Amino acid sequence: MPIRRALLAVLATAVGLVLLLSFKPHDVSQAAQPPAALAQKQSGTTPAQGSTPAQGTTPAQGTTVTGDPADTRWGPVQVAITVSGGKIADVQVLQAPDGNRRDIEINDAALPILTQEALSAQSAQIDTVSGATYTSEGYTRSLQSAIDRAGL
Amino acid sequence: MARWVPFPEKQENGVTITHVPSRTAPQVRSTGFVARPGPVLVLIGLGAVAVVALWWRDTSAVVGAAGWLTNAGRITGLLAGYAMAVLIALMARVPALEHGVGTDRLTRWHAMGGRYVVGLMTAHVLSVIWGYAITDGQHVTDEAVTMVVTFPEMWEATAACLLLLGIGAISARAARRRIGYETWYLLHFYTYVAAYLAFGHQLATGAEFAGDRAAQVAWYVLYLGVAALVAWYRLLAPVRLFLRHRLRVAAVTAEAPGVISIQVTGRRLERLRAEPGQFFRWRFLAKGLWWSANPYSLSAPPGAGGLRITVKALGDHSATLAGLRPGTRIFAEGPYGAFTGRLRSRRQVLLIAGGVGITPLRALFESLPGELTLLYRARREADLVFRQELEDIAVARGANLHYSTGPRGPGGPFDAAVLAQVVPGLRDHDVYVCGPAEMTRAAIRALRAAGVPRRHIHHESFEF
Repeated sequence: MPIRRALLAVLATAVGLVLLLSFKPHDVSQAAQPPAALAQKQSGTTPAQGSTPAQGTTPAQGTTVTGDPADTRWGPVQVAITVSGGKIADVQVLQAPDGNRRDIEINDAALPILTQEALSAQSAQIDTVSGATYTSEGYTRSLQSAIDRAGL
Repeated sequence: MARWVPFPEKQENGVTITHVPSRTAPQVRSTGFVARPGPVLVLIGLGAVAVVALWWRDTSAVVGAAGWLTNAGRITGLLAGYAMAVLIALMARVPALEHGVGTDRLTRWHAMGGRYVVGLMTAHVLSVIWGYAITDGQHVTDEAVTMVVTFPEMWEATAACLLLLGIGAISARAARRRIGYETWYLLHFYTYVAAYLAFGHQLATGAEFAGDRAAQVAWYVLYLGVAALVAWYRLLAPVRLFLRHRLRVAAVTAEAPGVISIQVTGRRLERLRAEPGQFFRWRFLAKGLWWSANPYSLSAPPGAGGLRITVKALGDHSATLAGLRPGTRIFAEGPYGAFTGRLRSRRQVLLIAGGVGITPLRALFESLPGELTLLYRARREADLVFRQELEDIAVARGANLHYSTGPRGPGGPFDAAVLAQVVPGLRDHDVYVCGPAEMTRAAIRALRAAGVPRRHIHHESFEF
């Protein structure tokens, strides 16, 4: 009897878990998140290439506003935004934690995603990138201060 | 086939004692709030849903194998963190739970939940490591090392994980009687350490909590709330009881071979609000006894005059109790237990006692209102304790009393047809069963077969 109940519990949990996960979108195009943005990594600082065609293609014309550095457990994160036509046309990362190999790996993956998210959300209300919680938090705070300063 | 012998046995003139109108002892009713099992389970379930909702709100998509694994790890991690707090709360000796759900059922829930938490935690650890390893394109062992070494609060979380696995292994061994109860009991306290150590990484690395003040506050409230319950009900309340009521041993008397009763006195005992059918955990402050607290039921309705417990010498501890001296101070915790008059909803009540399981039923037999029948089963005639008392009560309140003796095992007196014959109108009774696990199962099977609805069968195991 207890064995049967244990098996039932394991089974119910597994089924529930799979169901929960399957209800979320799995298609990259539906999600304004990871790999779509990762694909942009090699494009470096060139902003919003293709994926945000509505933006001006010449962000250099806009004004650049620097956000406050936001301290995180692993070091400060600081971003600057380029504002063009009342919109955020680009986000540059001025500094991010790079104390060890792991930080660099994480941030190489996470920062383009955060930038992508910020550009599509046009605000600092963006999702945290998994595995890069601290960087995400610092990024959001610095971005918010830049947005406030730019008066957007 | 063993049978039930009625008391009184046929009178010589062929007349059995006529039933005198029920005289019920004054009811001790505690007015406190009790939480019944159903609502408690619903509440626990709602909490779990809320915890999953945290993840749901925070997750926009589940992409690829890494996404599936990492998110499965998050959900199992959140649930493990939640269940851990719930499990500790269940064991915090909260009166509303002890009186409403009952200690034996709480213990069963805790044991089942404990295994479940260890399972969730294992799933969490494995799937998160695997998921991150795929994301980073690393080997799982490298990823595991990186996570432990460089992620915040992960050393502590690793220690907590190992502790919980160890406690799980020890509990499994304890279940198989390879280690002593006392050892198991003491090692179990490391659960608190594990909960404390694991807490840090939940907030520091949990994506659901990052930057979400409300979620962080809710998590703190959950854990600090449980800590407060433990501190109050497990530590401070017993000290208060000790200082307030000053319980002492008044007398120790022999009831039967290997069975003794201990009379306990103290101050303002009526304010203990103990009910017949309940028990305390008793710690006698005497040499060789003070370090262990054992649960024993009240074997008489508690009153301002005193409490009485009755103990069968099952182990070293209960054997030593026979040597207790009057005046010995007692550090007691309680009252606990849901096996009381609250469970009764019908006028006719059947009590089924097996062996030393008679103790709470002896108290109920005297104090429950309504029409009572007591079936008392023991291995040998000499093992039947309280005979005189029970027969006096039966006569005084016109209750029915039947004995049955014989060895354990098949062919016992728990048979649907036999019970129905001994107890007329059996289906309309509320039934209280207390005895060894094997006997309890046999009795419940027979009662169910005789058509007694499950919700009218109340049982308490004294082996927890």
